[in-house]
Amino acid sequence: MARVHNWQIGREMSYWYPESRPQKQFAAVFDINKCIGCQTCTLACKTTWTSGKGQEYMLWNNVESKPYGCYPLAWDLKLLEMLNGGKWNGKAYEGQTIFESAPAGERVSGWRPDDHDYAYPNVGEDDCTGQVDKGASLSLPHMHWFFYLARICNHCTYPACLASCPRGSIYKRPEDGIVLVDQGRCRGYQECVRGCPYKKVFYNPLTGTSEKCIACFPKIEQGLQPQCFVNCIGKIRLAGWISKPDRARAENPIDYLVHIKKVALPLFPQFGLEPNVYYIPPVHVPPPFLRQMFGPGVDEAIQTYKNAPNDPDLSGLLCLFGSTEMVVPRWRRQGETVFGTDDKGTELVKIPMKEPVYVRAGYDKLYQIARTNCP
Amino acid sequence: MRKTAVIVALSLIWLSGCRRGPARTNEVVAASVGKAPLNPGDSAWEQAPEYLARLLPQDLVDPRLMKPSTPEVLVRSLTNGTDIAFRLQWVDPVANDAPGAGTFVDGCAVQVPKKIEPSAPDPQMGQAGKPVEVAFWRADWQASVNGRGDTIRDLYPNASIDHYPFEAKSLEAGSAAAKEMAMRYAPAWAMGNRRVGPRETPVEDMVAEGPGTLAPAASTTSRGQGVRTKDGWRVVIVRKLPEGLAPKVRTQVAFAVWEGSAQEAGARKMRTGWIPLAVREAK
Repeated sequence: MARVHNWQIGREMSYWYPESRPQKQFAAVFDINKCIGCQTCTLACKTTWTSGKGQEYMLWNNVESKPYGCYPLAWDLKLLEMLNGGKWNGKAYEGQTIFESAPAGERVSGWRPDDHDYAYPNVGEDDCTGQVDKGASLSLPHMHWFFYLARICNHCTYPACLASCPRGSIYKRPEDGIVLVDQGRCRGYQECVRGCPYKKVFYNPLTGTSEKCIACFPKIEQGLQPQCFVNCIGKIRLAGWISKPDRARAENPIDYLVHIKKVALPLFPQFGLEPNVYYIPPVHVPPPFLRQMFGPGVDEAIQTYKNAPNDPDLSGLLCLFGSTEMVVPRWRRQGETVFGTDDKGTELVKIPMKEPVYVRAGYDKLYQIARTNCP
Repeated sequence: MRKTAVIVALSLIWLSGCRRGPARTNEVVAASVGKAPLNPGDSAWEQAPEYLARLLPQDLVDPRLMKPSTPEVLVRSLTNGTDIAFRLQWVDPVANDAPGAGTFVDGCAVQVPKKIEPSAPDPQMGQAGKPVEVAFWRADWQASVNGRGDTIRDLYPNASIDHYPFEAKSLEAGSAAAKEMAMRYAPAWAMGNRRVGPRETPVEDMVAEGPGTLAPAASTTSRGQGVRTKDGWRVVIVRKLPEGLAPKVRTQVAFAVWEGSAQEAGARKMRTGWIPLAVREAK
C-alpha cells in the first residue's frame, strides 16, 4: 500500500495506489435542509441511465430518510460497526479507514449486499426517531427528527471500488476525476460492490458487469450539470470543481462552500475515501448524529448556515443552486445580484437574491377572470 | 485355520474388485481416442486414466481466498491428436448457476502454457512474456446453453417490471431501432463484453500474462459441456492440443474450481499448481 494525504481526515493514510489527483475534480454540494424527498432526482437518473434489463433494482441516485432509511439495507451501520464507529481527535481522525482496517487477503474492509438487501427500499423511509406526542412543540434541534439524504456516487479521490478491482477495470478520469467502470473490461467479480462503503456500485445480473453513477459525464463534457442536479425541484444541488484546501479560490463556488465557509461536509469522511459530494447538514438534527455522519465540522457548519441571512455572500451563493443547467466554475456577488460565470468571466447566469414581488388585482377586469396570488 | 485363510483370501479378492475404473496416475495423461468426446458421460472416458488434483486456495494475490472450499477435482483427459479433452469432476451438492447481486456461480478452468518450453510460466495466470491459455466454463453459461432465458424473470420469477423503453409500443419489436435503444441500457454488451446473456457455448477462451491481465482470446474455439452428477459437477472442456504436445513431450496443465455458494469469483478460487501433462501413445 502507498501513503497518501487525505485532507478530510487531517492526515496521511494507506491506499492501494499512490496519490494521483486529477487535473480537475468533479464535486457537488447538496443542501440537505432544502430536500423534500420527492425522488425526482432518482427518477431523472433512472429514466436516463438505468431502465435496462438487469438494472431494475439499481438506484445510482437515491434519497433515503435518516436515521432509519437505507439502500441497500444498513449500508452505513455495517460500515460503522466494522470501523467501531471511528474516533476523532479534533479535526484529525485517529481511527482506521477501510483501507487501513483491511483484513489479511483483502484490499479494503467491506461487505457485499445480497439481493435481499436491495429488496426493501422503503424500510425506514419517512420514519422519524420517535413518537411526537400531542401538545409537543418543536425547537432546534428537534427532539424527534428525520431528514432526507440524497446520494450519488461520491467520485472519491481515493475510490474503494477502484482499489478493490483486481483487474484494474475501474478508472478515475484524469480530466475531471469522474470514476467509471470500464464496461469492456469488467468481468463481474463484484469486488467493487463489496469494496465501496457507500454501496454505489451495482452488479447487473443480465450483462454480468458492475455499473455505477457516471456523473452524467456526457453532460459534464459539455459544461452541463448532471440530470439529478437539474431536475431537482428543491434546487438543493450544485455541481462544480473542487480544489485541494491549500489551493482554494473564493470565486469557485464549491471551494467557497467547502473550504472557505466550511458549510458543506463530506459523507462519512472517516471511511477514508475523500468523497467529493459535500452536504450542508440539516439544522434540526442533534449534532452527535451528524458528527458521526459528516465529521467534526458539523457544529461550525450549522452555525455558519444559520447565520446565512446575515452573510450576503453565502446567502447569495446559495441562490445559484438550481439556477442553471450549466456548470458554474466561478461566481461573484454585486449588491443584490449573483453572477455565475465561466472560467473566462463570461456570464452564464444572473440571479437576484430577492425575487421581485408583483401583486396583481384579485379580479382582472380586462379578461374578466379571478386571479390567485402565490406568495 | 485353513478355513480362516480361505475367508481372508476371498475377502481380499472381493475388496480388490471393489475399486473399479482406471488406475490413478501421478500426472495428467491424455489417452488417445478417435474423437475427443464432449459428452461427460461418453464411454470413451473409461479409457482415460484418472488424476486426483488436490486444490489449494488462491492465497498469493489480493483479494485472496482465505477459507478453502472444494478440496479436490478428478481429472481425465483424452486426445485425438488435434484436440485435447479434459473431464473435471468434483463434489458440489448445490448447483449455483444463477448470477445475481451478491450471488456467484460455479465454474472451472483449464490452464496451459501458450508455448511448450523448458521454463514454465508462473502457474498463477502466467507472467509477462510467458502467457498462458485458459479455457473457462461457467454454470450459468451452461444454463443459458441449456435453454434458460435471459430476462429478470428467469432469475427472479416474481419480478415485476413496469416498462422497458426499448419495448415501447412506438418501437417495432425486434427492429434495429429497438435493439439500438436496448443497447443504450446495456453498455457492456455495446462494448462486446457479454459476461452473461444468451450463449452458444458455456466455455470462453482467454489468455493471461499474470494476475489481473486475463483477457478474452481472439476467438473462442474451445467447447464444453457440464452436467450435474448426483453430488456435484462433471464438466468436459475440449480445446486444441497445445502446439508441440506429443508422446514423449511434456507440458503443464493447471486447474481451478470456483464454488458459487462460497462467493468465489475471479481471484477467489481453489486452484492447483502446474501438473505435468503427457499424451499416451496410441496403441
